[in-house]
Amino acid sequence: MLSLAGQLIIEGLGIGLVYVLLAAGLVLILNIPRVFFIAYGQFYMLGAYILWGGTVLFKLPFFISLILSILATGILGAISYRLIFYYIQNVRDNFLPIIVAAMGLMMIMQQGALLVFGTSSHGMQSEFPGLIEFGDIIVSVEKLVLIILALLVTGILYVLLQKTKIGRAMRAVSFRADISSLQGINPTLVYMVTMGVGCALSGFAGGIMAPVYAVSPDMGGIILTVLLVIMLGGMGSMLGAVLGGLILGLTLSFGHYFIGADLAQIALFLVIGIILFFKPGGLLGNPGEDLSS
Amino acid sequence: MTSPYKRIIGLTVLTFILAMVPLIVKSPYYMHLLIMVGMNAMLAMTFILMLRAGLISLGIAAFWGIGAYVSALLALRLDLSFWMAMPLSAIITGAVALCIGCVLVKNPGFGFIIETVVLGEIAVLAFAHLPLFGGYKGIVSIPPVDPIHIPFLFSIEFVSKTASYYLILFLFLLVAIGYSAFYSAWTGRAWLAIGLNPRLAESKGVNIYRYRLLAFVVGSAGAGLAGSFYAHYYGAIAPTTFNVFKTIYIHIFAILGGVGFPVLGPIIGAFIMILVPEVLRVAKEIEPIITGLLLILLVLFLPQGLLSLLSRRKKNARPVG
Repeated sequence: MLSLAGQLIIEGLGIGLVYVLLAAGLVLILNIPRVFFIAYGQFYMLGAYILWGGTVLFKLPFFISLILSILATGILGAISYRLIFYYIQNVRDNFLPIIVAAMGLMMIMQQGALLVFGTSSHGMQSEFPGLIEFGDIIVSVEKLVLIILALLVTGILYVLLQKTKIGRAMRAVSFRADISSLQGINPTLVYMVTMGVGCALSGFAGGIMAPVYAVSPDMGGIILTVLLVIMLGGMGSMLGAVLGGLILGLTLSFGHYFIGADLAQIALFLVIGIILFFKPGGLLGNPGEDLSS
Repeated sequence: MTSPYKRIIGLTVLTFILAMVPLIVKSPYYMHLLIMVGMNAMLAMTFILMLRAGLISLGIAAFWGIGAYVSALLALRLDLSFWMAMPLSAIITGAVALCIGCVLVKNPGFGFIIETVVLGEIAVLAFAHLPLFGGYKGIVSIPPVDPIHIPFLFSIEFVSKTASYYLILFLFLLVAIGYSAFYSAWTGRAWLAIGLNPRLAESKGVNIYRYRLLAFVVGSAGAGLAGSFYAHYYGAIAPTTFNVFKTIYIHIFAILGGVGFPVLGPIIGAFIMILVPEVLRVAKEIEPIITGLLLILLVLFLPQGLLSLLSRRKKNARPVG
């Protein structure tokens, strides 16, 4: 019984940590540049495709492909901010234009991937075959690598936000952009870096998930689950994203085992619905806060 | 805000022009496209209505789908005619929106958008998985619109595309007049105030929650009406029709025409977005890319929509929302 629980917890952690990363990236983008970045899922897809292309087509080592996918998605995210959102961010009532522009970007990336890579999904060989036994719990090396990488990146993100100069600048800008620019912070640069970091997190998550699931153009649909995680955790809270991701992962993992995949999904929606009914701002969010205004 | 008289005259002229269209267009294919323009314009009007109250919904297609499924089930299981099923489905969609809206409207802004996206996806999943809704295959052989028999005079059959065109024109005008009535009554003023500055409106005694909920329910009922027409016009519905992408297209229709123009904007937007790709015969594969580019360019260079080019007077008017 204990070993079963351990097994399910490990499985849940694996998927949950990926959602933690995805939600953390989107929370950054939602809170600092205040862009409702609905094209976020497509960056996840792009990261997965770059990893697949790197390892399968060009025979590069796994970690070099992973770094490539992080860099490419990060740079693309920063560029997309400078080319599109920079111009509509300071307009009055920028809420609708930003969403619409992000929807445009989403459609372009989605259909572009469909045209370039085709509709069929591509599986890839596991880079880390083998199983490890801890007592009764059997874990695949691949899952272990995924968990370790995800924890590592979460740690790096924490240090980046809390201990470095750019992290402090990000927090200052998210608090009041105009005042922080008086302190010598360049908000545009901070926004670009934030979009880059957020999209890179998405690309990274796509990269480490590519060997686990097959790579296909409609991977971008993950944005819905990420939004659920953010809703659950609270819109403005990084810790909420972590909590939400872990709850989601564990619920899905235990639910799959005990009540089946479809019912687990419905149960998840129910749980989130109940939580939101009593706490409209999410678990750690502030119900009064409205990022749109 | 234009004066009521101007609005009535404008609507009459518009009706007259639209009613003349079948005299010119004879091809059934183009009539079909025009019918689709009318239906999508109804959905885009719904988007603008919710936007007025400061709600950006990405779940309009879900309510469109609810309307379609409810109407189809009413017609198939309870043997109701279209003329009974349509108003009933609009009412039921509105009731569903009331139940869901109670929770959703509580936190507008990002929270509302996220929740409507999720709602849109849950609706598709529910349509696809619940046996009542027929799974991924959807519902087929929905009875077409029943003919109207007027005793001793004549009967109207809705077989030809032209008759369906007049039906959608009627429904479109019904929704347009209904929404316009809401705009010009005290509700419209409350929505405008909420859209411009929610906090100020609240301090002036406008109950934001209640008016936003009203906008959500009214808009959803309108979308349900469009869904009912869609189900009976097509004769078959499938769950994936009602996904979030459809809502994105609805947004494009509204924004292309201009969200400051609640009736004319959606018609122009839907007309251009539906007919131009068909006429130019753009390949289906690159059409979304062009649409996406168009969206971004539109937001960057023409945020007020196409109609703002015509009216110089409204140059300073900005989209409410």
